[in-house]
Amino acid sequence: MNDLELAQTPSTPAVRMDHKEGRVFMAGDSYPENPFEFFQPIIDWIDTFLKESSRPLAFDLELIYLNTSSIRAMMDIFDRLEEAHQGGRQVNVLWSYDPDNERVGELAEEFKEDCTFPFAIAPRS
Amino acid sequence: MTTPDLFDLREIFDQQQIMVCFNGPINAALIEEIGRALRDYLNHQQEQPSAVADIFAVYIEMTQNIRRYADQHPELAGAASAAIVVSREDGHYVVSAGNVVNPDDGRELLKRVDELAAMDRSELKAFFKAQLRQPREILNGSAGLGLIDMARKASRPLVATVREMDGQRSFLSLRVVL
Repeated sequence: MNDLELAQTPSTPAVRMDHKEGRVFMAGDSYPENPFEFFQPIIDWIDTFLKESSRPLAFDLELIYLNTSSIRAMMDIFDRLEEAHQGGRQVNVLWSYDPDNERVGELAEEFKEDCTFPFAIAPRS
Repeated sequence: MTTPDLFDLREIFDQQQIMVCFNGPINAALIEEIGRALRDYLNHQQEQPSAVADIFAVYIEMTQNIRRYADQHPELAGAASAAIVVSREDGHYVVSAGNVVNPDDGRELLKRVDELAAMDRSELKAFFKAQLRQPREILNGSAGLGLIDMARKASRPLVATVREMDGQRSFLSLRVVL
């Protein structure tokens, strides 16, 4: 299985998915014109990781603005993590953000409401 | 045809406190560029980061809805053009956008805007979360999520108006007060 690395653009976040470490990093704004096209490789990577190994998977997020299609895609991702967690897998999310923009924290909180795995929301100091 | 008097045009912009105004064919690159200019302007005005985030979010949802609608209606002349205005009014930011739609779609949107206007904050949140879980085929192409998101960020109910153009086409305007 390969690592996945996408450079940040104005409308898409930086993405680094490290297979060996079991870590996913995403940072920046997300409002691509074709959200499903952008998110599909990310979702495929997660599906493969969860299927092919039993190792923990950790998400380190610094996402800022998500348009509604990206919110939908992130929900699909968190749903997969939730399912894996229910199946006994160790997964966690750490979402850090600039506390000046409280909208990011509110968005993260709404995602967290539907998750029972460890989901930390951390204002950066 | 004569060139509009730029002094008069400027007067109108100043009076109505219009910060951004665009009229013409819109695409993803333009949406991005105008959005960047809008954010830079607002940050420069020392606006609260959360206010900048809300204005930007409403602008993006509105313009991407218009783009998506145009893609789904290549037969509709002028659908790829958008009129976009960001202005200030009584201390509030207002994001408005208009585009050409089928008369039926215009009526449908008016109905949806009315439904959203009747909901309070917690109902809007619950509705948004329920819509998020709709199958993709149902969500696809509908302005559903974007519209609810705008209603959640707005400080007043959304206002939509539809003006008939020529029997086959209507002009839809949507106004969001933040």
